[in-house]
Amino acid sequence: MKKFIGPLILLLVAAGFGLFKWLGGESVVQPPAQEPKKQVTVSAFVGGEKMEFLNNPEVRRILRERYGVVLDAAKAGSIEMVTTLPTSGKDALWPSNQIAAEFFRNGGGQILADENIFNSPIVLYSYDIVTDALIDRGIVEKRGPSYYIVDLPKLIQMIEAGESWSDIGLNQLYGKINIQSTDPTRSNSGNIFAGLLANMFNNGTVVTSDTLESVLPKVVHYFRMRGYMERSSSDIFKNFITTGVGAKPIILGYENQLVEFALENEDFIDYLREKIRILYPIPTIWSSHPVIALTSKGKRLIEGLKDDEIQRIAWEQHGFRSGLIGVQNDPGVLKVAGIPKEITAVIPMPDAAVMERIFEALQE
Amino acid sequence: MMRAFVRTSAVLAIFALGLSALWGCGEDENKTSSQRSQARGSGVSFSIVSGSENEALEPIIRDFAQKEGVALDIKYMGSIDMTLALSEQGNKIPYDAVWPANSIWITLGDQQNVVKHVESIMRSPVILGVRKSIAERLGWIDSKDIAISDILAATRAGKLRFAMTSATQSNSGASAYLGFLHALAGAPDVLLMEHLDDPEVQEKVRALLSMVNRSSGSSGWLEEMVTENYDRFQAMFNYEALIIEANRKLTANGQEPLYAVYPIDGVMIADSPLGYVDKGDPKKAEFFQKLQAHLLSKDVQNRILRQGRRTGLVGMNPDIADKNVFNPDWGIDVARIISPVPTPAEPVIRKALDLYQVALRKPSCTAYVVDVSGSMNGQGIEDLKAAMTTLLDPVQARRFMLQPSPKDIHMIIPFNSAPLNGVRAVGNSEEVMHQLLAYVLQLNPGGGTNIYSAAARAVETMGEIENIEDYFPAVILMTDGKSSGDISELKEKLARLPLGSDIPIYSITFGDADESQLKEISAITVGRVFSGKNLVQAFRKAKGYN
Repeated sequence: MKKFIGPLILLLVAAGFGLFKWLGGESVVQPPAQEPKKQVTVSAFVGGEKMEFLNNPEVRRILRERYGVVLDAAKAGSIEMVTTLPTSGKDALWPSNQIAAEFFRNGGGQILADENIFNSPIVLYSYDIVTDALIDRGIVEKRGPSYYIVDLPKLIQMIEAGESWSDIGLNQLYGKINIQSTDPTRSNSGNIFAGLLANMFNNGTVVTSDTLESVLPKVVHYFRMRGYMERSSSDIFKNFITTGVGAKPIILGYENQLVEFALENEDFIDYLREKIRILYPIPTIWSSHPVIALTSKGKRLIEGLKDDEIQRIAWEQHGFRSGLIGVQNDPGVLKVAGIPKEITAVIPMPDAAVMERIFEALQE
Repeated sequence: MMRAFVRTSAVLAIFALGLSALWGCGEDENKTSSQRSQARGSGVSFSIVSGSENEALEPIIRDFAQKEGVALDIKYMGSIDMTLALSEQGNKIPYDAVWPANSIWITLGDQQNVVKHVESIMRSPVILGVRKSIAERLGWIDSKDIAISDILAATRAGKLRFAMTSATQSNSGASAYLGFLHALAGAPDVLLMEHLDDPEVQEKVRALLSMVNRSSGSSGWLEEMVTENYDRFQAMFNYEALIIEANRKLTANGQEPLYAVYPIDGVMIADSPLGYVDKGDPKKAEFFQKLQAHLLSKDVQNRILRQGRRTGLVGMNPDIADKNVFNPDWGIDVARIISPVPTPAEPVIRKALDLYQVALRKPSCTAYVVDVSGSMNGQGIEDLKAAMTTLLDPVQARRFMLQPSPKDIHMIIPFNSAPLNGVRAVGNSEEVMHQLLAYVLQLNPGGGTNIYSAAARAVETMGEIENIEDYFPAVILMTDGKSSGDISELKEKLARLPLGSDIPIYSITFGDADESQLKEISAITVGRVFSGKNLVQAFRKAKGYN
């Protein structure tokens, strides 16, 4: 009999948990841990791309009322928060890179728990006229409402060969074909792009320590030819919008940036639908958003962020896809066009040791 | 892993130091707006340091501060000086907000990450404004594909000369210069170190810069100088916004407008980022957020648009632009897609600026005409020596990006009631600079004051220099008292020169100097008067115009 008690308790707990889930995110529901939570302040480093989401009053309210979490979030780069920044006194780190936890451990950091909260694919943003020219060249394909970069290697080859926009029929644009990204040694989206390029130069398979040396010079050369690069994903996106197709024909960004921007600037929805294109590389790489808990308070933040309603707000108002297993995101609720229901073609980032080597080479 | 990233911060620290060494300390007193907005008792004060190109927008900011009951100070400073202040002082800089012309200056200077909430308020490309009659003669009206090489060809054929600001002192000059380099290097993916080392590229850029007939330390002053002395100028590189400002003045006076030329391969866009320097005062933070939101509000963005700046959230195509401002007859083309030059990497920018200063710019011929009358005794002569040391000591001059080139000519003419003997030297060798400095350091005050005969001597000596047209000539005149004599002697010498009044006299007032006397000299030579309350800064500033 005794040996059944354990599983029985587990079952009961699971049932109880399911009940709360089933009741949904109503405010009458108590937080999962039965008794009312005392409020705690959770101190965390957070990647800048999630600050808008964390400043959303609804998100703050739910975290506070249901989970007793008052978040004190300081903006920090995904790489620096797991490497150079002092983390004493911090309860959690929330980078936007799946290998961040590994970096942190490699540097001697102690982790209590880590769990992925959101995913957002790396995408390219461009303008209508540029996208049309790329479709004519067989680089981009429209499938349903979404645009896919079916031949990223070809686009990169054209960049490396120094082809001009006029070579693909865009006489309105002066200069060389270019994808602009943030600085891969300072910003996460640029860093992920370096990983994606390395995989691409490795014939589309994930680069390992064995294969890295043959592709590394190409990655370094690519970024060397870009000159000055912005340091933050939000800066490059804003500049993309404000300086226009002449200055920034194609940039690299996160999928959620357009969703957030559209909600903040509803007057421009028509313009965005008409002019701006979101292009999905095949394959792309996820920017994952794992919360790394350093204390029990940090673990409580993880629980809070898994809340159904918070996950819904994250998608509908901030464009973050759920990182939780089994959660579906419906693009029909979004104001912007061209966002697919699912991202199916995804290649993993190279592992931490490989990314470290790429990072070092890019710094030289 | 840890090690690699630790190394990163070490590299950053070294870079920050390098930058400080390059640009030095940023204490500057260029031009502080004298009136302070009256606070209505809120007790909050707020200071902004801004590029001179934003001066026309000051009333908007001032009105808002007054409404909010905030005492506001606006100081105008070159974008590059702001970089230096940020890199050296971090959040200890004596301002609450920075507003340079281009984000790159924040990025280069803000190594300590103290500038927050940066937003671009407006955009303006740096372009060439050419007298419309000359643009017609050159066949440039309605031409959409004028390249920097066409401008070079026109100058080589003797059909065009232009004015621009110094690339090492002002953003518009730096933007135009980086555009020249990019275009004349053959419009590569991006400008690299090897392009800077290429003798052929250097030769072309040097040739283009040799056609600059006037330099300036500030874009705003360049526009004023050109419009107020229009008979002396054919063209200027400046912000589209300031070409528009100039044209409104010129056409109001019945003069021909400048025609806007957007070189296809050499344009950079100023994005006017306004950022907050957090010093932990929540009231200041609150005011900043309100001010920024106000500037980005629809009404104010439209108001700024009416002043010739490109505003609005999307694109560079202000459809709602007023045709009287963005006037197609002036060549202003809002429908055109502008493809700016890719911004080079930071080390390339720094090297390019260095190259400008020591190798590519037109050499300077500078006469320092300095007051050593009896009243300079004591602190006065000490301050003068310190100021001259800043310019003559190679290490210090380099900090301010004012280092001499091998071709520069230096004259030092001390005066009291008459000009004293003085010295003259050529070049930038350590030996030459040391001799000049040694000469300055042995000066002893005594006697009366006559600025006119000394300035006349400087002008006369310059007139004797062979090929003076290959130099930027300038007299930097410093005095601390009311002058005896009168201006006629100077006028006579100026009239006798082959290039007449093309020698600007930049004056520095010190102590009891009579500003009206100096203003009169500035007026006849198209110079400028600088306040010498801080002599070191004043000399630095005046030299930046030469």
